[in-house]
Amino acid sequence: MNCKDYREQFLLMLTDDLDQEQRNEIERHLEGCADCRAEFDAARKVWELMGEIPQPEPSTAMHAGFDALLSNYKEELISRRNPATEWINMLREYWSLKARPRMAFSLLLVICGLTLGYLLHRPGETTSSYNRQIESLSSQISEMKQVMMLSLLQDPSASQRIQAVSYTDDIKNVDTKVIDALFTTLNEDPNVNVRLATLEALAKLSGNPRVREGLVRSINTQESPIMQSAIADIMVLLQEKSSVQSLQKLLAKKDLNKMVKIKIEKSIQKLI
Amino acid sequence: MLKVKNGDIDKMGLLYERYHRQLFRFLFNMTRQKELSEDMVQNIFLRMLKYPEGFMGFGEFKMWMYHIARNVVYDHFRKVKRTPAHSDVKDYEEKIEGGQITDAQIEKDEELKMLESAMGKLSDENRELLILCRYQELKYNEIAKILNTTEGAIKVRVYRALSQLKNNYLKIEK
Repeated sequence: MNCKDYREQFLLMLTDDLDQEQRNEIERHLEGCADCRAEFDAARKVWELMGEIPQPEPSTAMHAGFDALLSNYKEELISRRNPATEWINMLREYWSLKARPRMAFSLLLVICGLTLGYLLHRPGETTSSYNRQIESLSSQISEMKQVMMLSLLQDPSASQRIQAVSYTDDIKNVDTKVIDALFTTLNEDPNVNVRLATLEALAKLSGNPRVREGLVRSINTQESPIMQSAIADIMVLLQEKSSVQSLQKLLAKKDLNKMVKIKIEKSIQKLI
Repeated sequence: MLKVKNGDIDKMGLLYERYHRQLFRFLFNMTRQKELSEDMVQNIFLRMLKYPEGFMGFGEFKMWMYHIARNVVYDHFRKVKRTPAHSDVKDYEEKIEGGQITDAQIEKDEELKMLESAMGKLSDENRELLILCRYQELKYNEIAKILNTTEGAIKVRVYRALSQLKNNYLKIEK
């Protein structure tokens, strides 16, 4: 290290930022170098003198001033917040003064309207009476259809009889009278188309055990191959196992159509 | 300080209690005017109250305070363009004269006066360095942070300022 390097360390000597070893090294240099010694002594003197310059204390006026400043600022903050809140308060007051009676009046009107309407109308009663009327009307219609169907089944025209069979869809509660009439048509009607339509109508009523029984019984009364195969299809569709015997009896007939025979054999297989 | 930022203004009173003396010393040594320094202390704290968002830039409250203080001081210097630097020195001269005067006291008084004028001849930057180092009890790394430079640079610059002061002083002594 040369003198310049040592001199840069002087400050650290003064501020006590050196460890003992560095300190000793500088001391050793100072002993040997008069220039540096003079420089260091002067610097130290100035440094120490600086420490002796009196440092005035801030006056109490400053404290008071600051306290006033702080409280002023707080008030300022509060007043700055105020315009918005004041405005809202004003609105609220206005609302409570002018709008409240109006609101109350309009609410009263609405309630009056509602009670009046209720008193005049009795919504529960009217709907139930409507429902009753509709029920009676629809039951009347279904009765009428039943009568019409029964009479139309006697009609000489095949198309009229098909029409009559189709009415069964509209009859709500199919009673035994109707089912008997349909079976009579199924077994005795001269027209194949009418019988087919009847078969379809009866298939829809298959939930009734009487209908199932009747269908199984009518297997052997059918002569037409179309009817035979159609009835076999329906048996498969309904998975009616009790029909197997009747179908086997049908197979035993000598004049059975070949196609029908194959079909019925398949149907029996599916059923078993 | 974070609490002040979140609106807890009373906490600023606490910070004031802790730092106002240190800040006042810095300002007084820079300006040598007591009343002006007191005004500046208030201004600086008011600024910190009003613009707490500036705080985030500096890690420590102290650093931020010195940043603002330096701005205030240099603004002042710019405004007045070199006021006579020792307007308040008379105060303590009078004080000393009022007491019993010994030769040693007179001598010390002379030396201090010379040092004051030597300080006055320093550039603002060098004076500031010495003040920060000698009177503010700041570490070199803290000064470096305040002046936005490295610790090593500060050590060298403070030493240069000190030897400048010493040279000024010796010149006056002769």
